[in-house]
Amino acid sequence: MDCPNLLYFGELFASITHFALEDFVNRRLILALVAALALGLSGTLIVLAAPHAQTASTKKSLAAKSAPTASSAAQATPQVSLATISVDGVNDIDPNKAFGNKNASVVMEIYSDFQCPACRQLFTTTTQRVMDNYVNTNKVYLVHRDFPLQMHAYSRVASSYSRAAAHIGKCEVVEQALFQNQERWEQNGDVKGTVASVLSPADMKKVQALVDSKALEPLIQKDVQFGQAVPVNQTPTSIIHTKDGQSYPVVGYVSYDVLKTLLEQVAK
Amino acid sequence: MMESAPFNLRRIIIWLGRLVLGPIFIYAGYSKTFLPNHFYWPLPMLKFSIAANLSNFGFQVDSYKLLPPAGVNFVSHTLPFAEILLGLLLLIGWRLHIWGTIVTLLLAGFVFGVTRAYLLHMNINCGCFAIAEPVSVKKILEDCAMLLLAMLMTVFSFQQSRQPHPWAAAEKSHA
Repeated sequence: MDCPNLLYFGELFASITHFALEDFVNRRLILALVAALALGLSGTLIVLAAPHAQTASTKKSLAAKSAPTASSAAQATPQVSLATISVDGVNDIDPNKAFGNKNASVVMEIYSDFQCPACRQLFTTTTQRVMDNYVNTNKVYLVHRDFPLQMHAYSRVASSYSRAAAHIGKCEVVEQALFQNQERWEQNGDVKGTVASVLSPADMKKVQALVDSKALEPLIQKDVQFGQAVPVNQTPTSIIHTKDGQSYPVVGYVSYDVLKTLLEQVAK
Repeated sequence: MMESAPFNLRRIIIWLGRLVLGPIFIYAGYSKTFLPNHFYWPLPMLKFSIAANLSNFGFQVDSYKLLPPAGVNFVSHTLPFAEILLGLLLLIGWRLHIWGTIVTLLLAGFVFGVTRAYLLHMNINCGCFAIAEPVSVKKILEDCAMLLLAMLMTVFSFQQSRQPHPWAAAEKSHA
C-alpha cells in the first residue's frame, strides 16, 4: 500500500484487524489490567455506598436538632446593637468581630467558615501569629467575616454562636473553641456544647438567648452578601486593604511566614 | 519514499494518552503554582503569589495525613513543577516509556490517596487543581480513567520502544 505520511482509513481498519489477531498475548494483558481495575473500583463503590448514605441521613437529623427552634426564638429578644463601622473604606464592619487599632496601616478581612478545615488551619496557625505580631502592635486591623457555606451542615449554627459570643465580648475564646474542636462537633453536631465548655453558665445563657432570638442574623447575612460581592469563591479568603486604597485578595490557606512577606511589604 | 508508521490501536492509545494526559498534567501543575492567587507584577508580588499557592497546596497534601511535615513540604514544593515537566515530556513524546511509567506511578499514588480519603470519610479537598473539589466518587472515577489510560499508554510505549522505528526499518531495507 503506497500512502506516504497520510492517514488512510483503509490502512487504519486493516491495522486494527491485524492488531486484534496478532497481539493476542498483549490483548490478554490489557484485558487483565482493565478487569482488575474495574473489579477494584466496583468493590470500593459497593463498600462505600452504605456508610455514606447513613452518615448523610445522621448529619441531617443532627443539624435539625442543633438549629435553634422557632418556639425558643419567640422568647424575649435581648437588646443588641446592629451598628457597623467603616474603616479606610471598608464598610459594614461589626466592631465586635474586629480587633486592633482602627488607625493601623492595613485592614485585613478574613472570610471564613467554621466547618472548613483550611479555615481552622488558618485560624490556629497563621491568624494567631498575625494577632500577636501585627494586630497587638497596631500594624493591622483584623476583621473576622462569617461566610458559612451551604455544603456544611453546622456552619451557620456555629456562626450564630460565634457572633452572639462576640456581642458579649467573648469572640476570641469561642472562635478558638469552635476551630480547635471542629473535628468533634462536625461529627456530632454539638456546637452548643462546644461553646458552653468555654463560657460560664451566665455567659452561655446570654449567648443562647441571642442565638435563639436570631437578632444577629442580619449581621451574618451582611457578611455573606459582602463576600459574594468580592466575590469569595472559597474559604478562607483574606483581603488585605492598604491606606492607599489597594486591595490584595489572598485565597485559601496561607502559612504565617508567607503572609508575613506580604504584610511587611504593605504595612509600611 | 518513506512510509508512514502503521496507524493501529497501539498508536491511537499512545497518541490519546499523550494528548490527554500531557495537557492535564501541565494544567494541574500550572494551577497549583499560579492559582488561585495570581499577582504577576511587581516581582515580589509574583513571588508571594507562588509561595501562597504552594502553601495552600501544602495544606491540601497535609490534609491527607499520609506524610510527615518534611514530606509534605517536599511534595508541595516539587510536585507542581514535576507535573508541568512530565506534561511537556508526554507531549514531546521522547522516551515515552520512561515518563509514562512515572506518570502511571504518580496517578496510582493519586488514586490510592483519594480512595483512602473517601473510605475514611475525610472532609478534605482533592488538591488536584487550584479549585476546591471535595473528594468524591466522581473524582475517584476520573483518576481511575486517567490511570487506565496512562497504564495502556505505558505498556504500548514499552512495546513500541522495543521495535525499530518504521522509518529506520524502511531505510535499512532500502540499503
